[in-house]
Amino acid sequence: MDNLTKLLRMNTVKIAIIVTFCALSIATNYALIGVSNVKVMDLIVFVGGFLFGAVIGSSIGMFSWLIYGAINPIGFHPQIWLATMLAETVYGLTGAVLRKALGSASLDGRRLRLSVLFATMGFLPTVLYDMATNVVYASVFQVPLVVAIFEGAPFTVLHEVANAAIFGVCSIPIITVLGKMVKGR
Amino acid sequence: MAFVENKWILAVLVMLCWALATSFMAGHYYFQYTDLSAKVKERIISANLGINYGNGSDIRWFNETKINAGSTLFDLTKLLSSVNYTGSLSGASINAIDSVPNSYPRWWVWWSHSSYGWTFGPVSCDRYIVGENETVLWYRQDISTYPPPQP
Repeated sequence: MDNLTKLLRMNTVKIAIIVTFCALSIATNYALIGVSNVKVMDLIVFVGGFLFGAVIGSSIGMFSWLIYGAINPIGFHPQIWLATMLAETVYGLTGAVLRKALGSASLDGRRLRLSVLFATMGFLPTVLYDMATNVVYASVFQVPLVVAIFEGAPFTVLHEVANAAIFGVCSIPIITVLGKMVKGR
Repeated sequence: MAFVENKWILAVLVMLCWALATSFMAGHYYFQYTDLSAKVKERIISANLGINYGNGSDIRWFNETKINAGSTLFDLTKLLSSVNYTGSLSGASINAIDSVPNSYPRWWVWWSHSSYGWTFGPVSCDRYIVGENETVLWYRQDISTYPPPQP
């Protein structure tokens, strides 16, 4: 297999991963359209970053929002769309950074502690995501930033707490199963 | 993986999340409060209410109680104590305050304080609108002589 073929194959695999994860996250977002600020998308992006690195993780986040933000039943606003696209990459980056921090250690031991850690890793990037989107919202709709942040606080906190719960409960099983699948490929 | 072994790092992360969530909510409720108080500004007044049970116990004072402008003495009393009353065409008649009932010759009457001193309540408590900074006293008083003596 020459280098070009290897490169093409590698890129094909990457694209397949990104597309599959994007499809999954977009589908779950539409499925949960009636449940405000409770989404599985962030977890999928995070898992993508954790398993396949920052570039793939961030790409999953960006492309998911590219489609979901453009065809969104709630509405479309270009600046907010761009902001969410960029902000969503924070989950992919967090996943990749956490993978590096944990090293090659298995996730089998210390389940409770790891779940708590993953829960906080669901919470903290969500704070950044919500802050970023609030800043853009405030600038687009000419609302004072402090008002934008605190008026929407119940939604923000719901988003953060929901992500903490979803990340804490689901991250390790999903990463374990997908990790085995990837290794077995 | 070393930092996962350190429970204090996890505790700090959890506390950080908790602090952020509660700070957001505190900010939210602060804005709600300021918004609401701006809307009802001038519509909230302060009043002082005293309750003399007429049984030798100390007078209970509720100073600077916030109430809506236009509230009656009956509203204010219900806000601060448990009231047993009977409604009639002439207004609410108080039977007991804080489970201390009327018992002849001691009867619940009310007084209003002004620069002229104490004024005997001229109407039923639910017909009397409490004013800004007004002081009103419920007194379970001997009414065998009428009008009863000032508090």
